[in-house]
Amino acid sequence: ASAACDAGEMVIKFSHVTNTDRHPKGIAATLFAERVNTEMNGKACVEVYPNSTLYNDDQVLEAMLQGDVQMAAPSLSKFETFTKQFRIFDLPFMFKNMDAVDAFQNSDTGQAMKESMVRRGLLGLDFWHNGLKQFSANKPLISPSDASGLKFRVQPSDVLVAQMEALGASPQPMAFSEVYGALQTGVVDGQENTWSNIYGQKFFEVQDGITETNHGLIDYMVVTSVDWWEGLDADVRDQLATIMHEVTAERNAAIGEVDSSNRQAVLDAGGVIRELTAEQRQAWVDAMLPVWSKFEADVGADNIAAAQAFNASN
Amino acid sequence: MSSHHDAPQSGIARFIDNFEETLIAVLLGLMTVITFVNVVLRYLFNSQLIWGLEVVLILFAWLVLLGISYGFKKTSHLGVDAVTNLLPDRPRRIVALLSAFACFAYAFLLMKGAYDYWAPFAALQPTEGRWFPLGFTEGVRDRAFYVTDQVPMLGIFRWLEDAINYGEAYDKLPRVIPYAMIPFAAALILLRVVQATIRIIRGTQDSLIVSHEAEEEVERVAHGEYEE
Amino acid sequence: MDVVFLFTMVVGLLLIGVPIAVSLGLSSMIFLLMFSETSLASIAQSMYQAMAGHYTLLAIPFFILASSFMSTGGVAKRIVRFSIACVGHFPGGLAIAGVFACMIFAALSGSSPATVVAIGTIVIAAMRQVGYSKDFAAGVICNAGTLGILIPPSIVMVVYASATDVSVGRMFLAGVIPGLMAGGMLMLTIYLIAKIKNLPKGEWAGWSEIGASFREAFWGLMLIVIIMVGIYGIPGITKAIFTPTEAAAVASVYAFIVASFIYRDMGPLSAGEGNAPTPLINKPHALLTALWHKDTRHTLFDAGKLTIMLMFIIANALILKHVLTDEQIPQQIAEAMLSAGFGKIMFLVMVNVILLIGGQFMEPSGLIVIVAPLVFPIAIELGVDPIHLGIIMVVNMEIGMITPPVGLNLFVTSGVAGMPMMKVVRAALPFLAVLFVFLILVTYVPFISTWLPTTLMGPEIITN
Ligand code: NA
Ligand code: NA
Repeated sequence: ASAACDAGEMVIKFSHVTNTDRHPKGIAATLFAERVNTEMNGKACVEVYPNSTLYNDDQVLEAMLQGDVQMAAPSLSKFETFTKQFRIFDLPFMFKNMDAVDAFQNSDTGQAMKESMVRRGLLGLDFWHNGLKQFSANKPLISPSDASGLKFRVQPSDVLVAQMEALGASPQPMAFSEVYGALQTGVVDGQENTWSNIYGQKFFEVQDGITETNHGLIDYMVVTSVDWWEGLDADVRDQLATIMHEVTAERNAAIGEVDSSNRQAVLDAGGVIRELTAEQRQAWVDAMLPVWSKFEADVGADNIAAAQAFNASN
Repeated sequence: MSSHHDAPQSGIARFIDNFEETLIAVLLGLMTVITFVNVVLRYLFNSQLIWGLEVVLILFAWLVLLGISYGFKKTSHLGVDAVTNLLPDRPRRIVALLSAFACFAYAFLLMKGAYDYWAPFAALQPTEGRWFPLGFTEGVRDRAFYVTDQVPMLGIFRWLEDAINYGEAYDKLPRVIPYAMIPFAAALILLRVVQATIRIIRGTQDSLIVSHEAEEEVERVAHGEYEE
Repeated sequence: MDVVFLFTMVVGLLLIGVPIAVSLGLSSMIFLLMFSETSLASIAQSMYQAMAGHYTLLAIPFFILASSFMSTGGVAKRIVRFSIACVGHFPGGLAIAGVFACMIFAALSGSSPATVVAIGTIVIAAMRQVGYSKDFAAGVICNAGTLGILIPPSIVMVVYASATDVSVGRMFLAGVIPGLMAGGMLMLTIYLIAKIKNLPKGEWAGWSEIGASFREAFWGLMLIVIIMVGIYGIPGITKAIFTPTEAAAVASVYAFIVASFIYRDMGPLSAGEGNAPTPLINKPHALLTALWHKDTRHTLFDAGKLTIMLMFIIANALILKHVLTDEQIPQQIAEAMLSAGFGKIMFLVMVNVILLIGGQFMEPSGLIVIVAPLVFPIAIELGVDPIHLGIIMVVNMEIGMITPPVGLNLFVTSGVAGMPMMKVVRAALPFLAVLFVFLILVTYVPFISTWLPTTLMGPEIITN
């Protein structure tokens, strides 16, 4: 991806915040760049800027609206400032599994969400999966009361703050790069993340164990600037969209495998994983479900109903 | 010797100095207190000001942006004077003028960038042109809706909802407010650089950087001016 | 070569006396406008985000503030007294005590020139009184002062950690052993010179003086404990309490309390030089008035001003870094170096050479912001430990501080000792040689830097 673009090619800057070869997002971005750079050689060229070297998730959307970067894939909670509907993805236990997430994102409701920010200048191209979140802490988490009184690092999102407060835990906003050190030294007690992040950031090394709650979602949306996208030649735009959809389909289909291999890698490296019985899991659901009503007005009752329908069929 | 702060000052000049100095002290003091309070809340009370970190970072940006112009006013920015000190008087004056011009170019470009960056957040149009502002653009989508992550909305800014946000309520402080410091500070930097350039032309100031005369150096460090 | 043009512009502007920050920023803007599509607005964004988007750099104003309260509040003189009591009776005793005091102050402060001024003003005068030459005294302190950035806490380490996303806590731990070693090597050198030249030694004042001076310095020394325990905790007793950034803010508050209410060398309870301070019981409202007392305000302002000067440079270095990234320069350099077949050793030599040259002109933090992203990916590719690379960079910066033309420690020492700068350069030379030997040692023996953090925190993880 670092190959220099040829003269005369349209340069597409794709900025993201992970590595290029192990994180699901990084792998997908690299694949997209490789395919564009071969299949659209002479017309378009994607330059990938990984590891927040160009922009972090907070800055990249501003830069996109300014026209300084063309593509990015921030986590879905970053879009909550653009439209509150996106809070649906942060609500605890909204989706039963990744198949339900997939079905919802590909439904008319999901497709409409990609276009919901057009008036703000952003267009969603595709959803990219990372996976479902698990809890970890410096003590065993079996029942929700175990989390009570603990300090959990969360992403800065109103929903996640409310979720931790529903558990009686104390939500702590903290830069992602600080989390490992803070967990290790005990500045915070726990965190929530997907298997690929828990393994990639080695959080399991500095936690008592990971509880397999699958309670939330971390996914991304590939976005572009409406003005830039609509200014492209139709054939270029169509070809980019096609490649993007194919890359998305390929990588999203592989997410189950990526997730389970990361889960296995945690075990192989000596991490402890705790599975919950159906009853134990239900206790977590009961504790966190009140959060829904708090954000129902933002998210839309019909959207919640649509998501629940996919839980039943997946 | 390149500093002029020993020159007699008018009452207004002294008042402005005082105001700027107090502001710098207050911003740093607030940053320290909020951070400290959050540590205490977390460690002893298992609680936190959720907006604390973001507000401290905003204050940090304000402190530095505001302070840069003060540094130009007091000629306290670091530079290399080893070469210019070797020059005879006349060439040294010419080089000082060149360096003042470079600072002016910097401040001017920064001013354009700062306004262009901030304008859409205030529902204004940025300027046309790449190097120089050539009028205002049209049809750039505004970003007045864009709010901060965690900073609560303050009542005194509610009028902004009607003024720039089409009457839609803000549930967090809109970014236009913290970002307003960027064009404001840039304008102040431009002003101070122009004033310093005039002093150099008039011959009442030697250069735009702090000089490295040994005696002054100790004085300066004793007042905590270097920290590396 | 566009990049050559960019760096020529930076150096050219520096040489005609343009402020460092402006040289970096203006060159970046011109380069950006000429060679890329990116807007000027992105420069304003980078400038604001240099502070608002870098949580790690927030440690800088707080460590500066803590250090300001420590210097104003009379901690240094108490540390010097304690150091003389401990090692003053060895051959070359006062000089060794000077190094020892610099090491202790370095553990409180994140900065080198601050260390020279705090300790140097007291120790150089004392050394001259007992018969040392001015040159010898200046040479010792000029060098020992550089330990300010090697012994944690360290502003330069904070900047490195922020530029490369390694953990600040880990960097701080990594500096402990190299810091003690460098200090030890300086002391040993002095001891040997003292033996050969028969330099004066002090009287052994007995354990009671050690005890008395320790009690005096105790509140200042406690800050080291607060920082270390706060960041790392004590196994089995307490977990860590704060992040390194928060540690700096807590240190500031603590230093303010010690200076205003315990030592009372500043604030409403101070009665001026030589007079006994007012007891708090006689003036309880001082608890409140100290918050806005002119000494407090002044210390805050001084620390703020220094933060601004440093961050102005760092912010513009970040703009330059952004422009370099935007133009994919780090990848090009990495590919060039890797395809040239550089091994680990050649690479480290290159890094040393780049930093030694850069350190002659640039201010350390700005230099690290620019160089670290250029060499970091290559280091990872070649299997160099990021923490080890960080320590190498810090030691290079130490050397840059005591070599002309730009060397903050040189300027400061020449002022403190009242001698011309070139004379200080010569005086510092024998000890500079010691630092060079130390640089070679640190470069080729990674173990020195990585052992402590690896033992206490496990191996470094590279997540990028
Ligand atoms: Na230090
Ligand atoms: Na130097």
